[in-house]
Amino acid sequence: MSTTSGPGPSTPPTTEPQVGGGRTGPGRSDLVGTGVLAVIGVGALIGGAHYGVWPDGAVGAGFLPAVLGGFVLVASVVDLVRLTAARRRPPAPVTGAEAIAVEAAHRSAEATAPEKDVFGRTESQRSRATLLIFVVIGVALALVPLVGLLLALTLLVFSLLFFLERKPLVAAVGGAVVSLAVAWSVFVLLLAIPLPRGLLDIL
Amino acid sequence: MIDNLALGLQTAVTPQNLFWCFVGVALGTVIGMLPGLGSTTGVALLLPVTLSFEPVTALITLAGIYYGCQYGSSISSILISTPGDSSSVVLTLDGYQMARNGRAGIALAISALASFCSAMITLVALLAVAQPVADAAVRFGPPEMLAIVLLGLATIVSFAGSNVLRGITMAAVGILLSTVGIASGFTTARFTFDSINLLGGLDFVAVLIGIFAIGEVLHQISSGGAAPIRARFRDLLVSREDLRRAGPPTLRGAVLGFVLGVLPGAGATLATFMSYGLEKQVSKHRDEIGKGAVEGVAAPEAANNAAANASFIPTLALGIPGSGTTAVLLGAFVVFGLQPGPLLFEQQPALVWGLLVSFFFGNLLLLVLNLPLAPVFAQALRVPYSFLYPFVLAISLIGAFAIGNNTFTLWVAFVAGVLGYFMKRFDFPAAPLVLGLVLGPLLERSLVQTSEIGRGNLFVVFERPLSATFMVIALLALLAPIVPAVLRRRRAAAAVASRRETVSH
Repeated sequence: MSTTSGPGPSTPPTTEPQVGGGRTGPGRSDLVGTGVLAVIGVGALIGGAHYGVWPDGAVGAGFLPAVLGGFVLVASVVDLVRLTAARRRPPAPVTGAEAIAVEAAHRSAEATAPEKDVFGRTESQRSRATLLIFVVIGVALALVPLVGLLLALTLLVFSLLFFLERKPLVAAVGGAVVSLAVAWSVFVLLLAIPLPRGLLDIL
Repeated sequence: MIDNLALGLQTAVTPQNLFWCFVGVALGTVIGMLPGLGSTTGVALLLPVTLSFEPVTALITLAGIYYGCQYGSSISSILISTPGDSSSVVLTLDGYQMARNGRAGIALAISALASFCSAMITLVALLAVAQPVADAAVRFGPPEMLAIVLLGLATIVSFAGSNVLRGITMAAVGILLSTVGIASGFTTARFTFDSINLLGGLDFVAVLIGIFAIGEVLHQISSGGAAPIRARFRDLLVSREDLRRAGPPTLRGAVLGFVLGVLPGAGATLATFMSYGLEKQVSKHRDEIGKGAVEGVAAPEAANNAAANASFIPTLALGIPGSGTTAVLLGAFVVFGLQPGPLLFEQQPALVWGLLVSFFFGNLLLLVLNLPLAPVFAQALRVPYSFLYPFVLAISLIGAFAIGNNTFTLWVAFVAGVLGYFMKRFDFPAAPLVLGLVLGPLLERSLVQTSEIGRGNLFVVFERPLSATFMVIALLALLAPIVPAVLRRRRAAAAVASRRETVSH
C-alpha cells in the first residue's frame, strides 16, 4: 500500500447543510456563483435575440446563444431558489446518541485541525499567497511586450520562488534558470516557435 | 487482408522506418506533455522536418508523433492535472486522483497498457473494415452528427458531481463561450465587443490551460497544497488486480472510441467523455469512479487511442479529415503529391498499408518506451510543490502563446485560470464546461445544417432512424442517473417523515 505524508488536497466548501448544531447551509459563494451564471444567461439571451434567433424560418446566429442563455437563466434561478430555501430551512433536530457523536467529531476536528499547511502558511497567508500569484502572473503578462515572453516568465518563476515561497536566493535563481533553459530548449530550439522578444529584444 | 498485411509489413519493417517511427513516438510524447501543444500543433510544427523524407517514412513519423502526443498528454493530466490536450481532460478526474493517492505509476502504466491494447484491437479493425466503414460513415449526415453530439453532452450527468443541474448549466456555459466570434455558417460576429482579437473566438486550448493548469495551481495554494507523494517503488507497479479491472473498460472504450473516431469531426475528446460516462453506468466499480478508479483511466485512454486510429479511416478512404490532426496530415499527403480518397488504396497500397501497419510498431514502441518509465515519471511528484508550480505556470503560459502565436491567448488563459480557481473552490465542475466548449462548434454546425435539411424543422432528427436512435439513447443517458436519484430522495424523505411521526407519538 502506498504511503503519503501530510494532508491531501482539501475539499471545496460543501453546498449541502452540515449536520449538527453548527449548520450553516449553502454558502454565500454558491449564491454569488449561481447569480453570476444567471447574469451570463441574461446576457446571452439578450445577445442572441439581437443576432436573430429564427430569421427566414431557419436557425439563426442567435439561436444557440438565446436558447442556451434562457436555459442557463432558468437553471440558475431554480438553483438560487433551492439554495435560498435551504439556507432558510431550520436545521433538523439531532438528538440522543447522534448529537453526542456529532459534537465529539466536531471537537475532535477542532483539536486536530492544523494551523499551518504543508507550505507553512496559515489560512490568511494562503489567501494572500493566492492573490499574490494572481498579481505576479498579471504583471508578468503585462511585461511581455517590454521584455519578451521568456524573460517575463523567468522573472515570474524567480518572483514566486524568492518572494512568495521564501526560497534561498541561490535556489530561486537556480529554479528560474532551469525553467528558462527548459523553455528555451523545447520551444525555441526544438520546436522553433517564434516567441515574442519584446522591445528590449534580449531573449 | 493477409496480402495487405504482408505488404504493410514489408513496407513498415525497415530500419529507416522503424527508427523514424521511434523518433516520432518519443518526440510526440514530449510534446504531448506540454500544456497547449496537442497532437495537432505537434504534427504541424514537425511537418517541415519530414519534408525531405520518403513519403511513407514521413507519414509514419508524423503518425508516431500523433499517438505519442496522445500518451504524453495523459502523463501531464495524471501527474499534475494539466491536460496537454482536450482528449486528456477526463484523465484529470481519476488519473490525477490516483496520483494523489500514491498510485501515479499504476495510473501511467494502465494508461499505456490500455492505449496499447486499444491500438491492437482497432488496428485489426482498421485492416479488416477500413473501406466499408468509411462508406457507412459517409451516410452520417448532419442530423446524425447532431444526435451524436447531444448524446455526448448527455454523458455530463456521469461526471457532473453531486449537483447535476449545475453540471448541465456549466456545459451550457461552455457552449455559450464557444459562440464567441464569427458564427459558424454565418457572417455575424457574436459577443466580440468590437475586439479584433475575439473575432476568432476563444481558443479552447487556452481556456483549458487556464482552467486546469493555472486554476489548479491557485486552488492548491489556497487549499494548503499537498505534500510530495513518497510512494514506495513497488507500489508504483501494476498489480494483477489492477490489470484484471482494467480489461473490460479497455475493451468497451476501444469499441466506443473506434465507432466515434470514424465519424468525421466527432474526435477523440467526445470519445473519451462518452467512454467515461459509459463506465459510470455499467462498471461493477462505478461507485469508485471519480475517486481514483482504474476504470476511470483505462476506458477513456482506450477510447482516445481508438478514436485517434479510427480517424484515419475517413482521412485515407474518403479524403475527409477525421480530426484536427488528420486534417494537418491530409496537408502532408498533398505536399507529398498524394491524393487521399477512394483511389488511394488502389494507387498507393504499399503506402497505405505500410502506414497502418506502422501503427502497431509505433504503439509497441510507445509501450516499451513508457511502461518502464511510468514509475520514473511518477517520481516527479516527489518534487516539492513549491518548486513545481512556478515551472508549471511558466510552461503552461508559453504553451498558451504557442497555440496562436498571439499574446491575447495569454490573457485568455489568465482569465480562464482565475475562473478555474473560483470554479474549483466553489464546486462548479470544470469538465462539463470544457466538453461544452469543445463540442459547441460541432453542435452549432450540425444544428444549422439540420435546420437547412429540414427547412426549419429541427424534428427531422427524429424522422431518420439512426439519428432518432441516438436521440433516444441520449434522453435515456440523461434521465438514467437522475430518475433513480429522485426516487431515492423521495424514499429517504418519506422514511424521515415516518420516523418523526413515530418519535412524536
